[in-house]
Amino acid sequence: MSYSSRRTSRKPRGFSLEGGSPGTVLRFLLPALIFVFAVLLFPAGYSLYASFFNWPLNDASAREFIALGNYARLFTDPEFWNSLKLQAGFIVIALPIELALGFAAALLLNREFPGAGVVRTLLLLPVFMLPVLSGFTWRYMLQPDYGPINWIVAALGGKQVLWLNDPTLAYVAVIIQDVWRMWPFMFMLLYAGLTTIPEELFEAAFMDGASWGQRLRRITLPMLRPTVITALLLRLIDALRIFSEVYTMTEGGPGSSTLLFSLYTHRQAFSFFRVGLASAMAIFLLVLSVAVAMLIVRKNMRLEEMSKGADA
Amino acid sequence: MKNTRPALNAAIAACAFLVLAVELFPIFITIAAGFRRDIEILGAGPFSLKFTTRSWFLVLFKSTEFLGYVGNSVMVALFSTALSLAAGSLAAYGISRFRFHGRDALAYSFLVFRMLPQISLVVAMYMMFQAIGARDTIWGLTLAHSSFNVPYVIWMVLPFFAQIDRSYEEAAVVDGCSRFQTFRRVFLPLAASGLVVAAVFAFIMSWNEFLYALILTSTRAKTAPLHVAGFIAADGLKWGQLYAAGTVLLVPVFVFTVTMQKFLVHGITAGGVKG
Amino acid sequence: MRKTVLLALLAATLVVTAGAQTINVLVWDDPLPRAIKDMLPEFEKATGYKVNFELQPTTSVITKTTIGVTKDRADYDVVAVDEGNVPIVAPVMLPFDKWPAGAKYPKIAKDTVTAAMLDAATWDGVTVGFPINGNLYVWMTRKDLVENATNKTNFKAKYGYELRVPQTFKELLEMGTFFNANGIATGFGDFATGAPGVHAEAIFMWESHGTKFIDRVNGKYAVVLDEKKAVEGMEFYKKLMAIAPANAATLGHSERQAAFTTGKGIFSMFIWPNQIANYENPDSSLFAGKIAYSAPPAGPAKRVAVRGCWIMAIAGASKQQQAAAEFVYWWASKEIGYRLADMNIPGARKDVLSDPRYATSKPWYGAMAQAMDYAVARPRFPQVAQVNEIVKKYWLAGVTGSMPTLDAVRAIVAETNVVLVEANK
Repeated sequence: MSYSSRRTSRKPRGFSLEGGSPGTVLRFLLPALIFVFAVLLFPAGYSLYASFFNWPLNDASAREFIALGNYARLFTDPEFWNSLKLQAGFIVIALPIELALGFAAALLLNREFPGAGVVRTLLLLPVFMLPVLSGFTWRYMLQPDYGPINWIVAALGGKQVLWLNDPTLAYVAVIIQDVWRMWPFMFMLLYAGLTTIPEELFEAAFMDGASWGQRLRRITLPMLRPTVITALLLRLIDALRIFSEVYTMTEGGPGSSTLLFSLYTHRQAFSFFRVGLASAMAIFLLVLSVAVAMLIVRKNMRLEEMSKGADA
Repeated sequence: MKNTRPALNAAIAACAFLVLAVELFPIFITIAAGFRRDIEILGAGPFSLKFTTRSWFLVLFKSTEFLGYVGNSVMVALFSTALSLAAGSLAAYGISRFRFHGRDALAYSFLVFRMLPQISLVVAMYMMFQAIGARDTIWGLTLAHSSFNVPYVIWMVLPFFAQIDRSYEEAAVVDGCSRFQTFRRVFLPLAASGLVVAAVFAFIMSWNEFLYALILTSTRAKTAPLHVAGFIAADGLKWGQLYAAGTVLLVPVFVFTVTMQKFLVHGITAGGVKG
Repeated sequence: MRKTVLLALLAATLVVTAGAQTINVLVWDDPLPRAIKDMLPEFEKATGYKVNFELQPTTSVITKTTIGVTKDRADYDVVAVDEGNVPIVAPVMLPFDKWPAGAKYPKIAKDTVTAAMLDAATWDGVTVGFPINGNLYVWMTRKDLVENATNKTNFKAKYGYELRVPQTFKELLEMGTFFNANGIATGFGDFATGAPGVHAEAIFMWESHGTKFIDRVNGKYAVVLDEKKAVEGMEFYKKLMAIAPANAATLGHSERQAAFTTGKGIFSMFIWPNQIANYENPDSSLFAGKIAYSAPPAGPAKRVAVRGCWIMAIAGASKQQQAAAEFVYWWASKEIGYRLADMNIPGARKDVLSDPRYATSKPWYGAMAQAMDYAVARPRFPQVAQVNEIVKKYWLAGVTGSMPTLDAVRAIVAETNVVLVEANK
């Protein structure tokens, strides 16, 4: 990632650019700047401010300044580390699977057959589903006896599994729920990316005798790389904050085996009313997200590349 | 990749339908449950043919309150998607086509703001909105949703924008178009597939959003997810009604997506688009 | 964009025309408040006030309350408060004794509700609000199983006494085991999801075995749990778990309803009255009309019913306290009480619950009235949520056997003491 070695923050709007005047650039950027920074600057600052206080939600006047006390408290809290570990595991397992499935489907469905368009649209239904309802439905499906999944297993003569009662299986179930819901997201994004690759490239390669595998490796993958990175990045941001589905499915249990990071933050903020501590957790998550995002992007893509255009 | 072998095509088609069937099983359960009595949902198995004549859907549609919430959700989602698409694509164009000091930092700061967990922002937003009278209004919630949708759109369309050949815009500028006209008439149509994807997901993000809607609305701007969550948290759970409501909520998103996909250009051919 | 501006204008107009006569009410989302919502036009017509009636999921009400009602600001005039949250909101609410006299509806008298419910609305000697919906453990038993001649004969043969609605823990366990072992029905329905609910089960067991958990001693909170009795309670519940459905360790309200109302059903378990409607609805229950309601069975030490309650509180910073009070008086009035009761939604009024007209059609009202005499409460103080989580963690570990019960009890006591240090500051 080409963060310029020149410290950019010092020079406000001193543009040296190609293709437009400072005024033009500003006109392009202004609406977004307003909608994001104007709305979020105060809340973000407030959040940072709150993280330095012992701050009960029900009585803001009773807050007391404790500097880094909240952060110190987090680092000695085993439940915090547990939720972090669970969250990391969740990301590392679910996201690659979602990406793989989405990619495979995008390749497979990038052709016309009767009903192809219908399939491509219907496939997105899980992503449309309300997260709370998705969690609730999976909880229902995994119940013994009446839960559809166990019902089918029993009908086929198998033994019923108590998914949500077992710590490991519950964690697996949570991951399965997310994979089920979000791999079509990857699919749609990657499919859209696929459709922007010019046909002639493939036809030319085909003429040259390249096999399907070679076309995949030499054309598809490199051209899709920015899209894949973006897909991973956007999915990562949301996966790090997953809440409703998991909460409705397991409430963090059994025990703390599915107490992902946002569930623990939610508990601190809205059950224990510790706004300060919850803010500290949020800031921590932010720093973590930025770090992981930079890792993904820095290694694989330069913003430079993205502004070059397909001149290849 | 077009494939000329019909046998392979047929095999893949069959495969695709199979995958679809498995993937949509939970959706099928949801929809079917909206037509069943509670004791069948809980006792008769997922493939039972027992349906009730007393439809939960009728109950829902007779409830002007529920329709009102769905209407609110539709408005907020549409407005927020439109705003975010406009602001986001403009900004993404600025980032990908111009070079200026702090460009990278700006792009990443949008991302950083997207990464802020809502739970830590919501109380402050409540206070802000209360102060400017935006609480419990459609436009207030739209603003709140746009704050996370704009960065989302920006980063989603950036890779699509990157792949568009600059020669089209250069030609337009040579022809005398301003940057903005170039953007609107030449560039955007080329970026259609990316825009469609961004629109669909921005809509979904807003449609399913819960926390901001909970804290920042009261009675007038209440959205559908809150209503459904109320079903689940209530002491007397009515399964059939819950699933009917959930099914109804799938429809507007589905309609929106299908509409947007009409704009999808399948495969971009070289040969230039004349302005 | 024009549409947004129009909408904004419309909203502004609504706000303006609503004027100073609008009261903002925040309640939980349930059949009771919904019924009240339908009746609002009557109140509005009679008094001239407008009511902005906001329903939110039960778990979110306290969040919106703490954000919207502070010492200086009252975005809500009237708020429904769950019993457990009373200590948290008490500082910002107007004490009941200071509520103004009603103009159109008389100020509700404290003795219209039972002492147990009034206690729920009281904190630190101050009555914080008025109880509007009394909840407490009511016991459900499958009448059809108990009255079945074959069951009666077989049970008497095995255990030597008559089958009936269990009156003691011993009977509950033996009868439940009988039905479970014979595959007739599951023996017992536990509760294992929400932390406050699990805490309630623990209190139920411990108080029935003769020990309180937390008490105020010399003005400070202290754990007064008798270790031996607590272990007894846990061990007994462990036996009950063994005759509960297979997914007992994660049984929540929706799973309990599923297990009780379909298939073989559950022989006997507790229920919160608000949930009974579904169990008596033929569309959602195979055993509608076949359920007997009673006070919970008695433990070795005494008979106990855990209490829960929603109270209506008025914000201290509210500028419409007169209107707010009128609203609560109207809701809590006798006329509304009877209309609600007819709809299967009893409130907290003594007279309504024990009215003989409901004896046959809604037998659980009588059971509720009865159970009120045995009401006990979960401990309450601002940090109780932390204790809920502690109890849930170790109670479930103990009763599922993943931890020895003695260790579980000790862990609960140890960690609760840490929380109490904070509470006692």
